[in-house]
Amino acid sequence: MSDKVHVTLTVNGRSVDADVEPRVHLADFLRHDLGLTGTHVGCEQGACGNCTVISDGVALKSCLTLAVQADGSEIETVESLATGDQLSPLQQAFKDAHALQCGYCTPGFLMTITALERRGGALSREELRGELAGVICRCTGYETIIEAAEDHLAEVAARG
Amino acid sequence: MVDLLHRHTAAGTGLGVSLPRVEDDRLLRGEGRFVDDLHPFQALHMAVLRCPFPRAQVVSIDISAALELTGVEQILVGSQVAERSEPISVLRPVPGAPDLPFFALATDVAHFEGQPVVSVVAQSRAIAEDALDLIDVEFDPLPHVSDVVSAMEPDAPLLHPNELATNRLVTNNQERGNPDGELAASAVVASDRFFVNRVTALPMEGRAVVAEWRQGARELIVQHSTQTPHLVRKQLAEALRLDEGSIRVLTDDVGGGFGMKLGIYPEDVLACLHALELGRPVKWVEDRTEHFRASTHARESVHDASIGATADGRFTAMTNAYATDLGALNSPFGSAQLTSITFGGPYNVEHIRTERLVTVTSKTPIGAYRGYGQPESNFVREVLIDRIARQLGRDPLDLRLQNLLRPEDLPWTNHTGAILDSGDYAATLRMATERVGYDALRAAGRGPRADGRLTGVGLSCFIERTGYPSARFLANRGSQFGAHEGVTLRANRSGGIDLITGVSSFGQSSETTFAQLLSEVTGIDAGLVRVHTGDTGASPVNTGGFASRTTIAAAGAIELAGLEFVGKALRIAAWLLEIDDPTSLAVRGTDIGPRDSDGPTVPLADVFSTAILGQGIPPSEAPGLEATAYYEPQAAAYAFGSAAAVVAVDPETGDFTIERFVMVHDCGVPVNPMLVEGQVLGALAQGFGAALMEELRYDPDTGQLLNGSLLDYFAPTAADLPHVELLHTEVPSPVTPLGVRGVGEIGTIPPGAAIVNAVCDALSDPQIELSRLPVTPEAVWRALADAAAKGGRA
Ligand code: FES
Ligand code: FES
Repeated sequence: MSDKVHVTLTVNGRSVDADVEPRVHLADFLRHDLGLTGTHVGCEQGACGNCTVISDGVALKSCLTLAVQADGSEIETVESLATGDQLSPLQQAFKDAHALQCGYCTPGFLMTITALERRGGALSREELRGELAGVICRCTGYETIIEAAEDHLAEVAARG
Repeated sequence: MVDLLHRHTAAGTGLGVSLPRVEDDRLLRGEGRFVDDLHPFQALHMAVLRCPFPRAQVVSIDISAALELTGVEQILVGSQVAERSEPISVLRPVPGAPDLPFFALATDVAHFEGQPVVSVVAQSRAIAEDALDLIDVEFDPLPHVSDVVSAMEPDAPLLHPNELATNRLVTNNQERGNPDGELAASAVVASDRFFVNRVTALPMEGRAVVAEWRQGARELIVQHSTQTPHLVRKQLAEALRLDEGSIRVLTDDVGGGFGMKLGIYPEDVLACLHALELGRPVKWVEDRTEHFRASTHARESVHDASIGATADGRFTAMTNAYATDLGALNSPFGSAQLTSITFGGPYNVEHIRTERLVTVTSKTPIGAYRGYGQPESNFVREVLIDRIARQLGRDPLDLRLQNLLRPEDLPWTNHTGAILDSGDYAATLRMATERVGYDALRAAGRGPRADGRLTGVGLSCFIERTGYPSARFLANRGSQFGAHEGVTLRANRSGGIDLITGVSSFGQSSETTFAQLLSEVTGIDAGLVRVHTGDTGASPVNTGGFASRTTIAAAGAIELAGLEFVGKALRIAAWLLEIDDPTSLAVRGTDIGPRDSDGPTVPLADVFSTAILGQGIPPSEAPGLEATAYYEPQAAAYAFGSAAAVVAVDPETGDFTIERFVMVHDCGVPVNPMLVEGQVLGALAQGFGAALMEELRYDPDTGQLLNGSLLDYFAPTAADLPHVELLHTEVPSPVTPLGVRGVGEIGTIPPGAAIVNAVCDALSDPQIELSRLPVTPEAVWRALADAAAKGGRA
């Protein structure tokens, strides 16, 4: 059971070498082995999306992926967004819109929207409701999250 | 009390400003510190074996194989826990009810699915869970009771034969006037049985605890995800037979609470017991499967209610005999206690009775949850009011306006002794209906639209009790906590103020609002205030964050402490500036200077440093600059408002969409309007969830939970919720500091009734009555089918 497997992956631009137990999922690996506790676990069943990270450019629920499956991939977590003291534009949009309360779900939304942003284009509120339905927030009622996402994506699209 | 006409707005960071939150940056950057983010050196991990049956005798437990697993450090069973600890205490006992004592692990009988039976501590959570698989427990299932109605059956199995002769824990009746006589004499009466669904608060972070004991220091440090650090400390001391002085509870970021994280649960005692014996940190983090079975549930209740009216529409009487579930055992707060207080709502009704029966069942204990009985009473009353309107052929808006209490009727003491303090209830209803275009909606032809759907509009008027009316009130109910908040203000040499509170941060934005309140009272820029939360070793003893009470009580404490603090700061500044009259000075942002004119100023940093150093202060002053104050509200403030929902119903399938939802609310003077709106929107989402989608369902035969995961318990997602239009009025409460009313729960209250009333309005068939939450398309379709079978709608 504790026969560990060697993995090599990139996390937030840094290369990581580690030996992991095969049964450890990526969220636990990030949190408890790498100390990247910004990625949160809300269900471990793929339902809450609070554990969403970006893997090779695509949003991924890190509780549904084993750490060993992430071998060779490029992972980005919420810790990669801010630069020094500066919040990223998306983080700032969340702050301006009061899109977080307890903040537990927030990293999941930030990474989901970051992946949407890379896909390109502005989205309507209705489209955003669908795109963001994979992340559960129990505090905000989503209205302000959608507002932050809409504003941010529209701004990014306008910048071209 | 600060005179509202003379607000110190010099810093521009006081009341009524939508300051951005100080909590945000750390949370946005992934730097929040939730309990599972802590990795103490040498930590061990706990896992818990739980009863899989709704009720069972624990016949035998064999842990021998598990003990041999490498990495397992300790295993506890019920008999050991009963020797080493006391039964878990109750913070808000049901008045008049006998105790149903229980230990952190089941001893002979396990009373609900999910109740802890064995706890294992190992070097990792995975190993601890492997060990659970190796433990052999023989359970002998016992007869169970799986809902409130069957609990009341005369032949129901007796669940607590040693303490109770039936499954009825207690009844509390409150009555005024002659409701029965009035109902009998009424021109119309609407009566029905209403079922309110069992739901759960579902914070995204479950419960979590890390306990660490240092023998020589005699100190147990407990890092805990809770809304009430000081009450956790109290309960742990009692359960663990320790002095409170030996326990320090620390609460950093909490991923939501909503009433569910008040006081302690069995796992907290277990983690501490293991830590006390092993001398190493022990961590337990609830997973979602455990959460659905072992964290408290809420709301399940059955209401037999009536409203009577005269032929011209005046409400004559209201009655509600309801049964609300306790679950299998007590939780710290137990079942909802605000249904009776709010049943009469914002209406002028002299004759009223509420009968509250608390049942026990074989389900997870019920606990506090946002709303705490108020969504239930609102649903029942507001749906019955629409039925009265139909019977009388009256417009529901009109009928409500006729019966709402007018501003001049307030303060109004209702049949429970509760005092509705102030407000213009009808104004909120007019605002909501104007905004939604009520008259046009009601006037529109009642035929189907082009898409075959029927539209309807539904109303719901509500009140919300916010805060506790004093410790005396709580004492009458046997509550083991006070109504006060305490706060300490301490100057630092950098010219800032450390504000120390026992309140923790669980999304309610207290760090931001407390700084704003202090800015309001003292004129100090909120940016200079550093709020330290959740440490029982550092903060004055307080009550905690629940019951929409924190802002009210803390506002009073901050005001008192702030005035004392700033008074001394001004005296020292006057001395430094060589000015005779300190009252001619005021704080202006980062300096102290003349109140009304230009002139020499002195930086706060100089004043504070001088005070702390104690050199160069006036001879009459003691060194240091610090103030601690406690404040106990003497009355609760009632928030209020009205909601209007517009729905479009498919009369064939019962499918419906909420096309608009307008809510007008009044929370008095808002400390930070942006945050108030956030609280209302968030509570509304939970209100929609409970009204439309959420229900913990049990198999009546096996008594087991059918949907105990996020895959089949449907918490609303972004795609499930309607857009909400939020409006507000601002009537300052005369009974609270600064005129604030609480705001945390109000949104949970109106959705159920507004939606049901809108659906019934759309279908406009008097045979169609919806009396059960959640109201799903299936429920509507069934109601349509029933009506058709009765020969109503074709
Ligand atoms: S923890 Fe991964 S989806 Fe919930
Ligand atoms: S902000 Fe608390 S769960 Fe989303």
